[in-house]
Amino acid sequence: MGDGEGRGPTGNMNDISSYPSACDPSASDAIALRGVNLSLGRGAARVHILREIDLNIGRGEAVGLLGPSGSGKSTLLMVMTGLERPDSGSVIVAGQDLQQLDEDDLARFRGKSIGIVFQAFHLIPTMTALENVAVPLEFAGARDALVRAEHELSAVGLAERLHHYPAELSGGEQQRVALARALAPNPAIVVADEPTGNLDETTGREIIELLFRGHRERGTTLVLVTHDTALAARCDRVLHLHSGRLDEPMLHGAK
Amino acid sequence: MTVVDTRAALRRHPPAGQMARLALRFAWRELRGGLRGFGVFIACIALGVLAIAGVGSVAASLADGIASAGQVILGGDLAFSLIQREASDSERAFLDAHGTVSVAATTRAMARTPPPFPPAQAGEGMEGATLVEIKAVDNAYPLFGSLVTDPDMPLAAVFARNNDAFGAAVDPTLLTRLDLKTGDRITIGNVAIELRAALTSEPDKLAGGIGLGPRVLISEAALRASGLIQPGSLVRWQYRLRLPDADSGDRAVTSIEKQAQAAFPDAGWEVRTRTKASPQLERNVERFSQFLTLVALTTLLVGGVGVANAVAAHLAGKRDAIATMKALGATGGGIFAVYCAQIALVALFAAVLGAGLGAALPYVIAAAFGAIIPLPVAPSLHLGVLTLSIVYGLLTALAFALWPLGRAHDISVSMLFRDQVAAERRWPRRRYVIATASIVIILAALAIETTYDHRIAAIFVVSAAVVFGVLRLVAMLTMWIARRLPRQRSTVVRLAVANIYRPGALTPTVVLSLGLGLALLVTVIEIDGNLHREFTAALPEKAPSFFFLDIPSADADRFDALVRVHAPASSLERVPMLRGRIVAANGIKADDLKPAAGSRWVLRGDRGITYASVVPAGSRIVAGQWWGANYSGEPLVSLENRTAADLNLKIGDSITVNVLGRNVTARIANLRIVDWENLGINFVLVFSPGTFSGAPHSDIATLTFADGGTTQEETALIKALADAFPTVTAVRVKDALDALDNILTNLVLALRGASSITLIAAALVLGGALAAGQRFRIYDAVVLKTYGATRARLLTAYALEYLLIGLVTVLFGVAMGSLAADLIVTRVMEFPFVWVAGQAAGAALAALLVTVVLGLAGTFTALGRKPAEVLRNL
Repeated sequence: MGDGEGRGPTGNMNDISSYPSACDPSASDAIALRGVNLSLGRGAARVHILREIDLNIGRGEAVGLLGPSGSGKSTLLMVMTGLERPDSGSVIVAGQDLQQLDEDDLARFRGKSIGIVFQAFHLIPTMTALENVAVPLEFAGARDALVRAEHELSAVGLAERLHHYPAELSGGEQQRVALARALAPNPAIVVADEPTGNLDETTGREIIELLFRGHRERGTTLVLVTHDTALAARCDRVLHLHSGRLDEPMLHGAK
Repeated sequence: MTVVDTRAALRRHPPAGQMARLALRFAWRELRGGLRGFGVFIACIALGVLAIAGVGSVAASLADGIASAGQVILGGDLAFSLIQREASDSERAFLDAHGTVSVAATTRAMARTPPPFPPAQAGEGMEGATLVEIKAVDNAYPLFGSLVTDPDMPLAAVFARNNDAFGAAVDPTLLTRLDLKTGDRITIGNVAIELRAALTSEPDKLAGGIGLGPRVLISEAALRASGLIQPGSLVRWQYRLRLPDADSGDRAVTSIEKQAQAAFPDAGWEVRTRTKASPQLERNVERFSQFLTLVALTTLLVGGVGVANAVAAHLAGKRDAIATMKALGATGGGIFAVYCAQIALVALFAAVLGAGLGAALPYVIAAAFGAIIPLPVAPSLHLGVLTLSIVYGLLTALAFALWPLGRAHDISVSMLFRDQVAAERRWPRRRYVIATASIVIILAALAIETTYDHRIAAIFVVSAAVVFGVLRLVAMLTMWIARRLPRQRSTVVRLAVANIYRPGALTPTVVLSLGLGLALLVTVIEIDGNLHREFTAALPEKAPSFFFLDIPSADADRFDALVRVHAPASSLERVPMLRGRIVAANGIKADDLKPAAGSRWVLRGDRGITYASVVPAGSRIVAGQWWGANYSGEPLVSLENRTAADLNLKIGDSITVNVLGRNVTARIANLRIVDWENLGINFVLVFSPGTFSGAPHSDIATLTFADGGTTQEETALIKALADAFPTVTAVRVKDALDALDNILTNLVLALRGASSITLIAAALVLGGALAAGQRFRIYDAVVLKTYGATRARLLTAYALEYLLIGLVTVLFGVAMGSLAADLIVTRVMEFPFVWVAGQAAGAALAALLVTVVLGLAGTFTALGRKPAEVLRNL
């Protein structure tokens, strides 16, 4: 995407030409997918889920990913995070060609460079909020993991809930912990899979504010999977996935 | 876009120490909340470790007790033992110079009640004459410990002479056997003995080994007057030495032992010191405890199935957390490390718990039974034993946990994104398979290495592995068959059959754990039954009725004649008998010979030896030539074949034996195979005639009634012989075998007790598996009830399921156990195997009952649930 002048929520979103074409990778791309195909299942049950996906997401860009159930949103997210290997095509994330990494390298890469926020929070029930946030830092070998985790929890307003277990926290609080956990290692990219899907509207809004604040303040690239078109509209760019194909470019301004 | 390869940076692994600390930290976080879900795991490991630690601790405490009571058991700081001869004047002078000496002479003899004999009671043989174990002591007895009699009286009063009668204290069983009371008289040899008191406690009893008759304690003077001491008669003379208190350190003891050997190299005496008062007893305790340890190891093995189940269930519950950690940067290896650390911590807790309880066992035994068991138990903590048991527990837990732990490596993160069940790998990655195999090998090596008899341990390990493998196959096959059975019309049968093969079925768990426990129990039961049969039923058919000891050589013909008169239909075999010790072979001292375990006994203490001009009955020459009937050349010896192999001796080699204080060297002329089971007169060493010319000796004889003999015949013969030959000892084979059988029964009882613990472990494992499957059962029950199934039908279906699984288990458990017993009996013990049905069937029935009852008890709650409440919460 050119020289990246269009990034940021304040960018000129109505200007299609300021967005790079899918075939124009550049040094400022956070995520670059080229010719990605993926089928899952075996034999007769095999389904071609992702078809010829070409996609570039710029550094610091916020992208909303919309699409009906079964369109392949989650699968695309998994390909971006190295959790699923495509049958063909290349995946370059934060400058690293994921195809070259073996499973363990991918895990370490995820720990350092990608933060994931799940719809169902997925906090580890046997750990306190503080420990949950410290987990990726600890896996990455950070010596000050707990100090940094505490800082991250304060940043999402949970300074008073450090030593609570997930079961002792409300859904919104749990998702805030998950958000702090995703942001703690200062990843280049944050992917969020329907982060408000399990929350009521008010709580969901708070989470979204925090999510965008992190993106803004840290310059993190954000990929947000959602059903909510209004929410997607807050992103710099919106991608639509239909039956494994990307209808791109589509800006919410063009709706 | 610039593509940078950050692989090098990503592969910079954290140092191993940091990784281990991280794993432990995460493991600890998960365990903080308690050990919920690990109940069966902990119980299984703790039970197995408890058994191993308990057996080891009790055995070690017993060994300590024997060692610390060494002076009392031995009767002195040192004991010099001679057979068939007394110490020479110079030997005695040597002993007297070093401290206080007490003499104890032991022999076997017939005790007769003076005529008229008490009326013979029908069915009770031997009235009027019975075998007793004589112990004749001097006034210095006992040097250590104290003698307790009932009524309590000083030794001098017990032994005091009353006209022509000597006094004695006797084992109370003699009083009952001969229907006597204190004050009555018996005759031993040629003297009258007045029974002054009953023996309550004889301090040095343990060193004597197994007695075939009740003890009669008399004075040395009485023994000398009895006429039992003849040249060559089997009297053991023990000279116990008490060192002066000022100079009684271990160094003084060792120094005197060395001096004695140096001063009298040919004395042929067996010297024992207080530190090794009863090596035989210590060895027996050690050997027996090792058998028990192998049985206890089986408990761990059975429990291991529970461990595998518990770990798999635990990890199944952690799938989300594991996937999340992987999403946050944990590698598969890191996940394995975290959960392996966690399982290791739990296993350590369980093992330490078990070891702690095991360590308490000797204290409990000493406190509860100290007064009634005849062995000295000195309870103390034995760290070596406890550590070994903990190591066993940890290794077993890991051996069974590594497999499911390895599979956690490959739990996929994608399950967090989409609601689909990814196909599970059945096999973990190769490294985990190799690690599991390595731990199993270490476990096997440890079991073999720490056992006295490596061969027995190796047989155990191989059998356990084979039984385990076969039962695993049986479980798989059962499930395979159940899946392919034609569809049943009856819903009840269909449900039962489906439950046998569905994922998470009880089949593998029950078949493995219960099958293994049952196989062990049946093995022990079958071996027990066969030993019992061999001792009490099979052997006596071909065995002689009597052994006669101490027949004076000069009177032998008169003895033969008398037997022919009183038992005309019997056959008598009589051979000369000397006692001797092997002191060297090919010039190498016996202490330096390293025989295989099976033949070590040959070198221990003195053995019966004989000479013969013809091949002894019951023997067959397998190598070399027998000397001619009229041979009179250099001393030759015929050696039993297996002993020769174990001692690594061949024809032409030399053996030196010490007989009556004289060393005799003979060349091995031939090797024999001996049929030990016929209980005839069998000797490892048979010398050529003339080897011991001039050495005084007596004969021993066996007498076999052609038709087995009746009690009346036996009694009549014994009375006649006892009158005519008061110094000849008659050992009734049936009594001796009964005594052995009694001891055996007690030992096997302990083995059986230990084996039963495996069934407890199996029940635990079954309970755990039932609890794990409870959710499925409740769901099934509720759904089926919704569709109209009655509780009775469901109950029948479950009962049928447990019955079918139980039947398969019992069938193969009994089969494997019987096969193992067959192999052990025919290959190791070397006598024919006969399948004993009764008790094996009992054990099988018990196992079946456990499966069905425990299963139904576990399922009963599922039946009681109301559909609505469950469906609401689905």
